[in-house]
Amino acid sequence: MRPCTRIWLLLIALSGVTYGIGEAGLGGKAVVATLLAISLVKSQLVAGFFMGLRRTSFMWRAIMGGYLVVVCGMIGVAYWLGAVR
Amino acid sequence: MQYQSQAVAKPYFIAAIGLFVGQILFGLIMGYQYVVGDFLFPALPFNVARMVHTNLLIVWLLFGFMGAAYYMIPEESETELVSPGLAKLMFWIFLIAGALTIVGYLAVPYATLAKMTGNDILPTMGREFLEQPLITKAGIVVVALAFLFNITLTVLKGRKTSVSLVLLLGLWGLAVFFLFSFYNPANLVVDKYYWWWVVHLWVEGVWELILGALLAFVLIKVTGVDREVIEKWLYIIIAMTLITGIIGTGHHYYWIGTPEYWQWFGSVFSALEPIPFFMMTVFAFNMVNRRRREHPNKAATLWALGTGVMAFLGAGVWGFLHTLAPVNYYTHGTQITAAHGHMAFYGAYVLVVLTIISYAMPILRGRAANSERAQVMEMWAFWLMTVAMVFITLFLTAAGILQVWLQRATDTPLPFMAVQEKIALFYWLREATGVVFLIGLIVYVLSFFAKGETKAA
Amino acid sequence: MSDTQTLALPRNPPGDLAIWFFIFAELLAFGIFFLAYAFARAKNVELFNQSQLLLNRESGMVNTLVLITSSYFVVRAVAAIREGFSQVCARWLLGAIGLGGVFVAVKLAEFHAKFAAGISLHTNTFYMFYLSLTIFHFMHVLMGMVILGFVAVKARRGGYSADSHTGVETGASYWHMVDLVWLILFPLVYVIR
Repeated sequence: MRPCTRIWLLLIALSGVTYGIGEAGLGGKAVVATLLAISLVKSQLVAGFFMGLRRTSFMWRAIMGGYLVVVCGMIGVAYWLGAVR
Repeated sequence: MQYQSQAVAKPYFIAAIGLFVGQILFGLIMGYQYVVGDFLFPALPFNVARMVHTNLLIVWLLFGFMGAAYYMIPEESETELVSPGLAKLMFWIFLIAGALTIVGYLAVPYATLAKMTGNDILPTMGREFLEQPLITKAGIVVVALAFLFNITLTVLKGRKTSVSLVLLLGLWGLAVFFLFSFYNPANLVVDKYYWWWVVHLWVEGVWELILGALLAFVLIKVTGVDREVIEKWLYIIIAMTLITGIIGTGHHYYWIGTPEYWQWFGSVFSALEPIPFFMMTVFAFNMVNRRRREHPNKAATLWALGTGVMAFLGAGVWGFLHTLAPVNYYTHGTQITAAHGHMAFYGAYVLVVLTIISYAMPILRGRAANSERAQVMEMWAFWLMTVAMVFITLFLTAAGILQVWLQRATDTPLPFMAVQEKIALFYWLREATGVVFLIGLIVYVLSFFAKGETKAA
Repeated sequence: MSDTQTLALPRNPPGDLAIWFFIFAELLAFGIFFLAYAFARAKNVELFNQSQLLLNRESGMVNTLVLITSSYFVVRAVAAIREGFSQVCARWLLGAIGLGGVFVAVKLAEFHAKFAAGISLHTNTFYMFYLSLTIFHFMHVLMGMVILGFVAVKARRGGYSADSHTGVETGASYWHMVDLVWLILFPLVYVIR
């Protein structure tokens, strides 16, 4: 099996987990953190393997990785704010 | 000059500079009226001076854009203009119509002018920047159509380049969006809503395409960098411009009675509007650093770099200052807006038109570049006007901050006119720097008459 | 070439460098929009949680699978052209565009149901964000399909080769960006509560 096919299947599986959590109607800090972590992993997989950033210089990986961590992280902060309010 | 018909650009450029001088004179009169309210009253009330100042700006920039297009399109298309005669005819029609309009503003009260020119048939007057009488507006449409017809057919006939394509897109957009100036709904909110389709979608949309095309053209010529490289930059800059600029219209819709979601759309997208301007700055410097030839016209390069920097500062940074809805809640329509308006118009559009004039005018006059002496004068003019504009902007910003502080962001707000008196010092300072600007402009005009040895074209 | 040399080389991502400036500018726009959603939600947790339950999570999930798969097709298209198979490349691209069409159809059905229920930008802050985020993304899907369409036509005519196929990589990179954004958008708007 090609590596990209494996990544594709992994992405499908992770999306299934996200959907399952949604169907179960789960909420709360741990669930939010899990979902955001899954999103981060999925988007990193797409960026690294599909977009080919895995084989680029550190700068490119840092920009993309930094972007994804900041966006997912700040979303987490916003949800945490919503929960303590 | 590679093509004879490019010569039609010359009267357009001369008219542009002439009207520019007029604009600055009225600016100085207004600046004085800011502090001495009855200066020249009742012969020239503030609102009329303001109208003439802003209308002259628009008209001379349009002259500049048209001249630029007439100069660039034959060279880009590698063919003569379809009809140089039509271009010359349109020049005179536009100039005379423009002059008559200004005379109308100055000679009779605005309401009388409205009555005389048939405003009751189709009311279009009385809105900022679009004050022109109905017949002038119709005239602008006719001139624009003839102009677009002329250059579009030229492009279709000859070589098609990215630069001419982007320029055409910008100019067609300019004409299409102007049509909204004929639509004047009775509801003030709806009216403002569409009014911005002209004003915003011009200066933060299609004009930026024209700006990009003009800058790219001059950079190709003076740096000798490969066209492919420059075109690639041009494409991403205009793509970013359109993505951020179109929905960015929302930043004019705050607190005027439009739905709340505009606060989100406006804030998110217009916060990104500095990006294309920043890319333009990087683009200009990058291309000049990678230049493959030393063009004898050093002044043109200076204007081009100045465009990049000042457009980013004026449109990008000063725009961002008050583009977020919660900030704009306090700054809406204060002197902050005036500060931004001055530097953005100067940095983006005044400078780009002066860039193309600086590059093209010597060639139109039969030489590759002006004499050393003339170029030094031109560079002095650049620095005088640019530094003066920076200070005008800073003083107006200071006035604006104080205005927000005393009039809005306080538990004990002062009335508008009381605040105006308290910030008068900054208006005096602005007026003084305005005089410096005028001196720069005079040096600029004189540079066209400077003698000295020139290089052959 | 030694390993240290490889590391020192500035290796740019596949495709035209210009598209990467564009991709990051687009990502910035989406990123700011996502954070605006998240922080607006923090002020209206109840409203967002209630409204979110009324979204069609199934169609969101279907579209996630569709986009991931179409991204995968595009990866295969790039792999094919790297070996010089332009017809194979064109077929994978057409498959990806077809899946883009499925995404569009599902999304239109979803929008239709929402509009039929009288939901608009005015309904509440949640729906304002839901509609504007998904419509903004929808426009990008359409634009991506157009780009892939141009690339596919050129590939079909044999316009690319194993040595020269920057155009394919450029289109592919843009399409992956559209996918990547959806992978955050879907959980954010449809699932996380």
